[in-house]
Amino acid sequence: MTPGEFVEVRGPSVDTAVAAGLEELGLTSADEAEVEVLQEPTRGFLGIGGEDAVVRIRRKPKAEPRASSGQRGRGSGGDSRRSRGSGDRPTRQSGPKTSSGRGSGVSQSDAGARARAPRREGSRDGGRNGGREGGGARSRPDDREVIGVEEQAEQIKEFLSGLLEAFGLEGTVSTRVEDDVIYADVTGEQTEALVGTKGAILQSVLELCRTIVQRKTQQGARIRLDIAGYSERRREALRIYARRLADKVLAEGGEIMLEPMNSADRKVVHDTIADIEGVRSFSEGEEPQRSVIVAAEGE
Amino acid sequence: MKGDIVQRVVDYVSREIVEDPEAVSVTIVEEGPEEVTAEVRAAKPDMGRVIGRRGRVAKAIRTIAQAAADEEGLQARVEFID
Repeated sequence: MTPGEFVEVRGPSVDTAVAAGLEELGLTSADEAEVEVLQEPTRGFLGIGGEDAVVRIRRKPKAEPRASSGQRGRGSGGDSRRSRGSGDRPTRQSGPKTSSGRGSGVSQSDAGARARAPRREGSRDGGRNGGREGGGARSRPDDREVIGVEEQAEQIKEFLSGLLEAFGLEGTVSTRVEDDVIYADVTGEQTEALVGTKGAILQSVLELCRTIVQRKTQQGARIRLDIAGYSERRREALRIYARRLADKVLAEGGEIMLEPMNSADRKVVHDTIADIEGVRSFSEGEEPQRSVIVAAEGE
Repeated sequence: MKGDIVQRVVDYVSREIVEDPEAVSVTIVEEGPEEVTAEVRAAKPDMGRVIGRRGRVAKAIRTIAQAAADEEGLQARVEFID
């Protein structure tokens, strides 16, 4: 994914549009994005005739939000995101290491114990909300800013292992990082209990993973979570569905609007459609009612 | 005890989310033979974290609390007490 990628989103207010756009880009904080307001919302009469807010959101290169930390590798710009995945991590000579360390496999009991350990200093600077809104104007350097995506993956693994333990479920948690996306996979027959109707529990677990990474590292992360193979089965079903719709559009022309989906599902559809000649796809509407539209090329 | 899994799960998740895990407490109140309420208390500045923007985190915690309750055949509610 390139840093220059952007989405345009409309919503009843600038805030909702921004939130939807962030989600579509897989970001969790406005700090990570450049937001351009293309149109302020206007109020219509009795809700009729008003204009939505329209914003354009672009992913910032990850190196940017560092505020006053002069000694950290400057000029890495947009490349830092890519290089991070291949182990070429930004230097982190200042400050203590984070508690999560770099150790491999954390045992479940270990993770559980750790969760109860007091947080290290620096986590209470009240900067979380300030940081969100502040657009990178942080009050002080914070070495969590340069925590690599591998370490975020490790935190997710710890959290999920601890969660299984709290539930008393047998299962295995593995994570891997690919192109700055964290893939977390929870497997084991019993972990089916964490999927839920239409993946509702899985979505909630994912939401908590995001929240926890955001809190611990002040950075958003793009996380793909699968539990008991549910997401993969669902993605495959979605691909088949998307191909069928593409066939229909190719045969009959026009366009088809799918039911509203979350950003991860929309991406599956977009990726599937992108591989098919003669059709294209785009998203419309505002979260959580944002939908993919599959259309014939040129229409 | 009834609601044990709910207690453990909500406690674990809440502590992971806050800045001050020591201040978190989760108490189970039995509402009926198959119904429990998990009362979550946390340090004041952490309440916002546990609830999250537009209640997203609270909603996730509620869903997961119910998942935990399902393991015990219970209905679970979660109350965030300020």
